Amino acid sequence: MIRSPSKSEAKIIYDINVHGARLMGVSRRGFLTAGGTLAAVFAMGGRSAVARVNASKANLHAHSAATVNGWIEILSDNTVLLRTGKCDFGQSTIYTAYRQIVAEELCVPLEAMTEVVSGDTDRTPDGGGTFGLLRYGQNLRKVAALMREASLELAARRLAVPRANLSVREGVISGATKAISYGELLAGEDLHLVIPISGDLTMPMGLRVDADPPLKPVKDYTIIGKPVFNPSIAPKVTGKTVWVGDVTLPGMLHARTIHPATLGSTLIAPGKLDGKQFPGARLVRIGNLLAVVSPDEWEAVQAAQSVADGCEWSKWEGLPPSERLEDHLRMMATEDPTPVRDGRANKGNASSVKTTRELRASYLMPYHKHAPISPMVSLADYREDGSVWLHTHSQNPQHLRRMIALMLGSDEDKVVVRTYPGAGHYGRSNGGSAGSEDEAVLLSRELRRPVRVQWMRSDDMQWSTQSPAMISDIRIALDDAGRMAAYVASHIGPGMQDDRLVGALLAGMPVIPAPSPATTYGFQSTVLNMSDTWVYGTVPAVLEQAKGGAHPGQHEATDVVGLRSHSMRTPIQFQQNCPREIAISEAAMLAGKDPLQFRLDHVSDPRFVAILERLRTEAKWEDRPSPSPQAKSHGSDPVKGQGVSIMLRDNGYWACAAQVTVIPASGEVKVERMTIVADVGIVINPLQLRRQIQAGCLMGVSQALHEELSFDKGAVTAKDWTGYPILTMAEMPELKVVITDNPTVGIYGQGSESANALASPAIAAAVMDATGKPIRRIPLKPEYVRAAIKLHA
Amino acid sequence: MSTIVVNGQQRKVKASPDTPLLYVLRNELGVMGVKFGCGLAQCGACSVLLGDEEVRACVTPISALEGKPVTTVDGLPQRWASQKGKMSAGTLHPVQQAWIDEQVPQCGICQFGMMIKVTELLEANPKPTDQDIREALTTSGPSPHLCRCGSYAAILEGAHRAAKLMMQGESA
Ligand code: FES
Ligand code: FES
Repeated sequence: MIRSPSKSEAKIIYDINVHGARLMGVSRRGFLTAGGTLAAVFAMGGRSAVARVNASKANLHAHSAATVNGWIEILSDNTVLLRTGKCDFGQSTIYTAYRQIVAEELCVPLEAMTEVVSGDTDRTPDGGGTFGLLRYGQNLRKVAALMREASLELAARRLAVPRANLSVREGVISGATKAISYGELLAGEDLHLVIPISGDLTMPMGLRVDADPPLKPVKDYTIIGKPVFNPSIAPKVTGKTVWVGDVTLPGMLHARTIHPATLGSTLIAPGKLDGKQFPGARLVRIGNLLAVVSPDEWEAVQAAQSVADGCEWSKWEGLPPSERLEDHLRMMATEDPTPVRDGRANKGNASSVKTTRELRASYLMPYHKHAPISPMVSLADYREDGSVWLHTHSQNPQHLRRMIALMLGSDEDKVVVRTYPGAGHYGRSNGGSAGSEDEAVLLSRELRRPVRVQWMRSDDMQWSTQSPAMISDIRIALDDAGRMAAYVASHIGPGMQDDRLVGALLAGMPVIPAPSPATTYGFQSTVLNMSDTWVYGTVPAVLEQAKGGAHPGQHEATDVVGLRSHSMRTPIQFQQNCPREIAISEAAMLAGKDPLQFRLDHVSDPRFVAILERLRTEAKWEDRPSPSPQAKSHGSDPVKGQGVSIMLRDNGYWACAAQVTVIPASGEVKVERMTIVADVGIVINPLQLRRQIQAGCLMGVSQALHEELSFDKGAVTAKDWTGYPILTMAEMPELKVVITDNPTVGIYGQGSESANALASPAIAAAVMDATGKPIRRIPLKPEYVRAAIKLHA
Repeated sequence: MSTIVVNGQQRKVKASPDTPLLYVLRNELGVMGVKFGCGLAQCGACSVLLGDEEVRACVTPISALEGKPVTTVDGLPQRWASQKGKMSAGTLHPVQQAWIDEQVPQCGICQFGMMIKVTELLEANPKPTDQDIREALTTSGPSPHLCRCGSYAAILEGAHRAAKLMMQGESA
């Protein structure tokens, strides 16, 4: 602290080091009657950048890519504003867990966290995709801890009490009989805490706080662990929330895009727009991007349909039809140059382990759709000065902004992306785009009017990305005692993500690089990682490999759209864990062991032992070998079966049991009961976590029973909910969710992923238990179950 | 020009008679508690009550309303108030209150239709069983009411709580 030389202005210039951050600013206390803040601001480039920052705010602007004010601002009215570049996708984390984390570290009441600003490129810090939210919750936790420590330093000076004698409770800093609230401390101040960060704002992982302040001990928590309500629910159910589809602008036109006949067609001749029938409508063409706009939405819908009927598109047959998917993936495995990736747990010489008893099997996971209940919708406003405002629903608005700027050939500063609540689409926009955004921008630029593009159900089914398929070859060798001696798995599938803007591709505008083995941009790669974490620590020899490749159709030409991949809830781990867990259940069958006990015999981590033991009781598991003694593979009488699966993700431990009945003759599967036991570490909000897990589990049951994308040689053939059915309420099983709070691990647990991946392998194993026949393909549609029974008759 | 009754109010409408109610409510009348999901009567995101019956606004032209009043989620508090003979809509509809109490929604986009369907059910059947609720939301209408987020378990709990609140004749 330096006393200013000027006597007339009794200002204090602060420059205090706080655990690697710098508390800076000029105190004009006594000169101002109202206001006052302490704001967290960033210094990009890590710790060394903090030292270079001078106290001028203009300089700070230059260092913070998105906004001058960072994650947290404490105001003199004792409220706290939280800004996050992450968005809410219906799991409420940013409104519940994030507020709880910050309030806990700052030691203020939760009610002080009055406002959350999220996902607007001009108003919020940090970027990255909206996934692993609680991993990034560590950023917030650290920023809040730094803010608390900075405030304690200030208070020590103000109260003339040594820092070590001060503590904070309920928003009041006290010690040695003196006390001051955050608000009183900050009245009249304009202070910022410069926090070192590193990373890249627009890339998938976003920014990272580069400091290690002391964190509040878990045992002192009073807010984390409470069943806090999600404040965004009441405005939603009362109709007050402005959803992305509700945003309007004066002079706005409604657009419907007319997408090509196939994923590789070019436009030969557009259909005719009948001006008499649709007097307000207008046809717009930019390359192969075709759209009808009208001030009247219903007119746009009808006119687009009539134009679409008359369009002539070139023929294109660059896809393997979905019934030939396995052959295609096998061919890709040998012909695609993408290198193989090894699993981290590989050990021993698994391929050469000799045995008399072994399982050798191949498992096929289909393409899945994210399938939001409302199709994508965006509103763009391209202005005369070349700036564009884009109103949309995106999990990664910063990267969307970068891609829009690239498409337009303009500065990123010219693009503002504002996000709103929308239909949950579970990862589809983690790279920025979910569809419609770029089309709205291009049409608005063309027409110089705000344009709202609403995709129809068929656009969303046929032109959005999909979660990639996988074929997995697994070999499990058993020793004489029936224990696993070796595990070998080879997973083959297209790369996880292609974030190129589909409208830009159609219009022939610049896009980010296509996925290839060499692409290092974001998640754009054909490389497939081993995403499933190996958990059977006692198996002596393990070899897991993943072989990626281009997405179907991609190699035809660089501007061909093809069947683009995209991460979806529990991405790639779903596709690798499911075959592994079915195979483990099959191996248990081969060994004549209870599949739950078989897992207990092979896991090494005590957290798995604890949840598997718990699952045994909670699920009323029958301790017996599989198949069931009553198993039957024929007849119309229902047979019962049980199955189990486990997963480790983001330090969360999961176990799941499924109880089913099967009619062997028809192949019908009814899921009777699902039980999930989760140890995710510190539970921030048991109420919201329980809801997330229940919902995730049911999405998983949906994936297990119904979901599979169908396509022919040119196009996705599923156009609506009849072509891509999902679970209905009538099919909902009895559901039991057990959350074991485990604060000893010191890490916040994730609940929004994992739960959806557990159902498929548990249900498949239960069908095997009921029928005695291997099930190596999902979904468990009656025809596939019948085929599996017949194949192994 | 035609007149339709929406959430207790007479509204003049310019749209042509073949226009689906969905677009008229949202774009002409600014009633936003009805959402576009499929436009094909396959999902239930656009459900409204026509009189006492749930219909799909995306496929119901305004010419088919036959003078019956339309209720959307926005009008549920008022519907409840008038059923209780209260003068003003000071409290939420029990279904809305239950949806908050039970923290039902995940993303929430399907819940507009879910709440409308459950309101229809509870007005006709004040003490539904699990089975009644499942059937209402699956087989009773033109299609199942779909939820991608998998909130069905929460919806079941929400519907039972709403039934209790309705019996008590209070919601807040
Ligand atoms: S939008 Fe009307 S039923 Fe889907
Ligand atoms: S809550 Fe998201 S679709 Fe139902």
